[in-house]
Amino acid sequence: MTADIHALTGAYALDAVAGNERSEFERHLAECESCAQEVRELRDTATRLALAATADPPPALRGAVLDQIKTVRQLPPETTVVPMRRRDRSPLAQRLTSIAAAVLFIAAAALGIVVYQQGQQLDETRAQAAEMSDILRAGDVQVLTLDKGAEGRMTVAMSRSADRMVLLAEDLPNPPAGKDFQVWSDQDGKMVSEGLLTPSNGEALLAISGFGDAKGIGVTVEPAGGSATPTLPTVMAVELPA
Amino acid sequence: MGDRVRRVREARTEPAVDVGAELMQRVARGDEAAFEQLYDLLIGPVFGLVRRIVRDPAQSEEVVQEVMVELWRSAARYAPEKGSATTWAMTLAHRRAVDRVRSAQAATDRDEAVGRRDIGRPFDEVAEQVTARLEQEQVRRCLRTLTELQRESVLLAYYGGRTYREVGELLDTPLGTIKTRLRDGLIRLRDCLGVA
Repeated sequence: MTADIHALTGAYALDAVAGNERSEFERHLAECESCAQEVRELRDTATRLALAATADPPPALRGAVLDQIKTVRQLPPETTVVPMRRRDRSPLAQRLTSIAAAVLFIAAAALGIVVYQQGQQLDETRAQAAEMSDILRAGDVQVLTLDKGAEGRMTVAMSRSADRMVLLAEDLPNPPAGKDFQVWSDQDGKMVSEGLLTPSNGEALLAISGFGDAKGIGVTVEPAGGSATPTLPTVMAVELPA
Repeated sequence: MGDRVRRVREARTEPAVDVGAELMQRVARGDEAAFEQLYDLLIGPVFGLVRRIVRDPAQSEEVVQEVMVELWRSAARYAPEKGSATTWAMTLAHRRAVDRVRSAQAATDRDEAVGRRDIGRPFDEVAEQVTARLEQEQVRRCLRTLTELQRESVLLAYYGGRTYREVGELLDTPLGTIKTRLRDGLIRLRDCLGVA
């Protein structure tokens, strides 16, 4: 980072950088956490200037805005969970190795995704939230993690007594064109489909219940829409503890 | 009646408007009552800011309405990890106001084929005047701790909606100096205001 580009944090926080220079600085920001942090603080500072400029609006504006929003459809949330990933890589997160910390992590991650998906798939979201709370309430929660580097990471929080689990995949590459990731449970050697895992920016969450005595859980690449039995290569698989 | 007016004024001078993540979440879920609350919290500063930058009353109102509707439309895109909801809203309001004056400016420049950048834009208030009209004593006090050149640059950029290049031309100062001045000025302001 050159001192010159870093000096733009102030101008940028005030929207005083235009055109190509702005896009260039934004690319720099994506890679420079200390610059991004400074921009956040300077924006908060600029906000104080905005608050100091408070003025009385024309009263008719309120009704006009409230009428207009009734006709405006809200944007769906972005499903990027970048901050979560960043938190996961922080030195603190790396030191947290106990089961309790892992449970908290997956709960936070799941809730993060749940929050981002709100409004889009509300029923599904509610179901996932219910899964999470059931699993966390159960006394026998277990957390398994599998790190396959560039092929992705998988974290499973499960409770045998609640017969529920949540599978969180991170840094998962997109499936090849025309293919989907499908999740299977191994029930006495018989592979039972538990649904598709659809990554959004490398993250995917799947709540699974009713897997009984399943001995393992795995992810395979299947033709789009999934298959009746697993055919294509296994991306990830873990053995489930009894 | 007199009492009520005074209370409203006092509420306005609170150092921070706290929107809160929970309110944003309700708005993101399409809760219109929550949006009314959000509107009431933010409309004063949004209107004041946009009006300062855009100047023209009719155009300011248009921009303010756009901003408030955009807050509703994109509420689900607000990410609490990236900063407070108030800053998110004010950043959006500032950006929209600046876009409006910059596109108006571009049109004027084209139409009149004039080189001078400040033609077609209302005359900028003297920095001192702007400072004196600020409602918040703390902000006013902290602005006074900046050097005159820092203060002028920050106010021209933020309330004037100027790019730092324009600020450089207006103040007849090299760009490198303006960049540093804006950054140092804001940092001093941040520290004085105790912004975390």
